[in-house]
Amino acid sequence: MNRLIRILLTLMLALIVLFPLIYGFSASFFSPIDFTDSYAHMLPSDPSFRNYGLALSHRHFLRYVMNSTITSALTAALRIMVTLPAAFALTHFTFRGRKALFIMLLSTLFIPSDAILYENYATIASLRLLDTYAAIILPSVFSASAILMLYGALSSLDKDVYDAARIDGAGCLRYLISILAPLSQPYLVAIAIQTYISSFNSYLWPLLVTNRDSMRTVQVGLTMLGFAEQGERGAQFASIMVITIPFLIVLAFGRKVIMKSLSRGRDII
Amino acid sequence: MKGKSIQPYMLLLPAILLASAFSIMPFMRSLVLSFLRITPRGTIIGPAGFDNFISLFRDAAFRDSIMHTIIFIALFLPLNTFLTLLAAILTRRKRRYGAAFEYIFFTPLAVSMAAYAMIFSEMFRGRVSIINRIFGTEIIWLDSPMTAMATLVMLSVFLDFGLDYMLLLSSFRSIDRSMIEAAEIDGAGGLRMLFSIELPQIRPMLLVTVFMAAKDAVLISAPVMVLTEGGPFRSTETIMYYYYLEAFRSANVQAGRAISVMMVAISVLLMALAGRRRHE
Repeated sequence: MNRLIRILLTLMLALIVLFPLIYGFSASFFSPIDFTDSYAHMLPSDPSFRNYGLALSHRHFLRYVMNSTITSALTAALRIMVTLPAAFALTHFTFRGRKALFIMLLSTLFIPSDAILYENYATIASLRLLDTYAAIILPSVFSASAILMLYGALSSLDKDVYDAARIDGAGCLRYLISILAPLSQPYLVAIAIQTYISSFNSYLWPLLVTNRDSMRTVQVGLTMLGFAEQGERGAQFASIMVITIPFLIVLAFGRKVIMKSLSRGRDII
Repeated sequence: MKGKSIQPYMLLLPAILLASAFSIMPFMRSLVLSFLRITPRGTIIGPAGFDNFISLFRDAAFRDSIMHTIIFIALFLPLNTFLTLLAAILTRRKRRYGAAFEYIFFTPLAVSMAAYAMIFSEMFRGRVSIINRIFGTEIIWLDSPMTAMATLVMLSVFLDFGLDYMLLLSSFRSIDRSMIEAAEIDGAGGLRMLFSIELPQIRPMLLVTVFMAAKDAVLISAPVMVLTEGGPFRSTETIMYYYYLEAFRSANVQAGRAISVMMVAISVLLMALAGRRRHE
């Protein structure tokens, strides 16, 4: 009895959760008539890959995808390059103002970037960076939660290794790259995955700082492809699927790694 | 380590520069300028006291946006918590086909906000929509204030579902096995086990998830932008959507700054609450 209820509930919830995705997938095969018919279609009347052809041959769509891929990867890489040395300094050195600087960096946890959109926009505009990758990337490179996560990881490491390496003549940068980075690899992977997902999905900021078609990211571009206006709604759904399916595949194979990465550091606060 | 004393500062420099330029300084500037009187051209005239805040609250559209945000949170938070918790409870044990359901409940993570919002606007579009067909209704969802808000809430549940589900699932899985086994030996059944052993164990993580979801909900704006553009009749205009309109569309920057300051205060409050719950 209990078991039956559990199975039914699970199936129902799974169906609800999947529904928009299934519908979007199905709609990516719709002909224009399926959208304007007298009743709402669930399945395409004449399925074909025509919509995918339209999406992939759209003037800007692939450029949008490329912009998003590049900016997300750069943000992730830069975030690691900025936060790892910072966490290294905070955990392996004693120096004047260490605590004050640490607190200063962590205080940014309390300032949601959405709440300071205008000031950041003004900064980027005054640096004449509008419509550049730098504009999309720069404000999200630093992350207090990444510092916090690495701080926890690095402070659990044995400092004796560091002292030994120093006696052997390893410079501090060399130690950072060839010993510390491999040791904290799971955390770096977690930061990379978290950063990549969140910047690939960000909408508002790239919308504000880009104007030229060639600089739009895919999330913003997706709403501006103009397929609906041309009566080609199906192509709009095909574009959505083109960017969603790769993530679904990655999620299928990397579910465990992604789960570990995303839950890492969430429980620190 | 004498003579090398400049090294840690050099390592910290990029982080400090970026944190200052794109987080601390912008907030400070908003904080200071929100208490000053400034011409539209940006010249500072003098102190304004709370005038910027007062004129903000005099605007009926702003007061409405607060109300819409409160209604949104009141609907979103319980629904989101209930559904993600239910999914985590149903799949918390490793069973046959369990991995398949786990994957299904993860899939919202792979779908971006813009993608979901566009699929939703098709699912709820006009009288001849797939949702109306399935439920046998004839509602034009995005045309009346109440149903448009309901659609926005449903969309937002999907946007947060994957991550919240995952966090709850991993906290269920990290409960000490020996406690569950001991309870099993004592003859505790499934539901009894859930309510008296497992839920109390994941309570801290559940509360953190709820407060973080609340913080995100307070700041909601992008889904509004794509799904409803604040409509119909400005009925889904949230505080941050109003902020966007004022600061970027109406060039009413001072109103925007006053909102920034209040929103930072609110998120500090919510995060402090989350932190306290966590350490209880």
